[in-house]
Amino acid sequence: MRLVSHADKSVEVGRAEGPQVGQFERVVLPHLSAGFTLAMYLTGNKADAEDAVQEAILRAVRYFSTLRDDDARAWFLTIVRRVCFTAYRTDRPQGTDMISIDAVGPQLVDSREQPDMAAERLQVQQRVRAAVDQLPPLLREAIVLRELQSFSYAEVAAVTEVPIGTVMSRLSRARARLADLLHDVVDFGDVA
Amino acid sequence: MSERPDLGRAMREALPVFEASPSLQAWAREEARKLDQESLPQREPLTRPLRSRVPRFAQWPIAAGLVIAAAAGWGAGVLRPGANLTSSTNATTSQLVDAHVRSLLPGHLLDVESTDRHTVKPWFAGKTDIAPVVVDLADKGFPLLGGRLDYVDGHTAAALVYGRRGHTINLFVWRTAAGEPGDGSFSVRGYSVLHWSNGGLTSWAVSDAALSELEAFRDAYVH
Repeated sequence: MRLVSHADKSVEVGRAEGPQVGQFERVVLPHLSAGFTLAMYLTGNKADAEDAVQEAILRAVRYFSTLRDDDARAWFLTIVRRVCFTAYRTDRPQGTDMISIDAVGPQLVDSREQPDMAAERLQVQQRVRAAVDQLPPLLREAIVLRELQSFSYAEVAAVTEVPIGTVMSRLSRARARLADLLHDVVDFGDVA
Repeated sequence: MSERPDLGRAMREALPVFEASPSLQAWAREEARKLDQESLPQREPLTRPLRSRVPRFAQWPIAAGLVIAAAAGWGAGVLRPGANLTSSTNATTSQLVDAHVRSLLPGHLLDVESTDRHTVKPWFAGKTDIAPVVVDLADKGFPLLGGRLDYVDGHTAAALVYGRRGHTINLFVWRTAAGEPGDGSFSVRGYSVLHWSNGGLTSWAVSDAALSELEAFRDAYVH
């Protein structure tokens, strides 16, 4: 597993294969890492996340003919999420299913920054992680899909299999909880 | 702090996105190719048009490598086209390749990790009804990496794992049963498969290395 910065996000799986390879490979596999990221946030560890993505691929292959619309990413992540919920999470106590922030290295600190500024940003990043960590799973996955993976409300609704209204309610509750903890370092606009 | 980021920026700076490991990516591509080869022609048309299709071997770097190998004068003539295989041999070789690809997933390759045959061989005792020959062939370019138990085509198999210049060779060994196919070499979905039997044991070597490499491996292993 490699951590990739968001600047590298466009480097996706399968690009080197060229456009002529099979339909599944072209349509679904570019979203493998997005699926893996979701699985990491849902299962909290690499081994379960890899197993979940593996199982999701097997299911996706089996049901590939049911993919009708263009949003293969939402379709594939829906499968990943179902696998995570049915196989890798429901038997776990709440609160133990998040990546330990200690396992995650410091992100995107510009080495040209002044040391005190860099330290301050690291501290903010740790607080953001801890705040997201303590969210209930359904709120956390909604905010991660929306803010980290830049899904539209409709896509979040498709992946989490709830109406858009529910997604908006979850996102609003997640933002309110995060605002309570982070309003001094993060701009929440009207929410805070 | 002079400027507070909005929530999206704060989360993108603080939280990692992950990349699927190369072995998971390779495995997924293999599954995709299986689907492409086996199922796509029967499927209903998808909503977007397929792009013009080129011959499979041209899409497939491994297969292309084999073509180049054949053109270079080695390996030619020993690759049997899949159409000539009996269906049971076909199923066996396909399952062997599946087992090989599965073994390359993280954490699946080795149950016992050792370059010492005196560690690997006793490990199989009591776990299988066979005692495979375990030799370290590092001096011949095939270092022993370890072994594991596998289940292939209805057999509990001892799988010995050897390295070869960055490639992995899985050697599956089980007790020869009636109706086993004769010795031979096969190319299955771009993987090389080599089969031989002796001493009541049937052996299948599987790798993405060239078939000539597997033949060199067999010669080193058998002697």
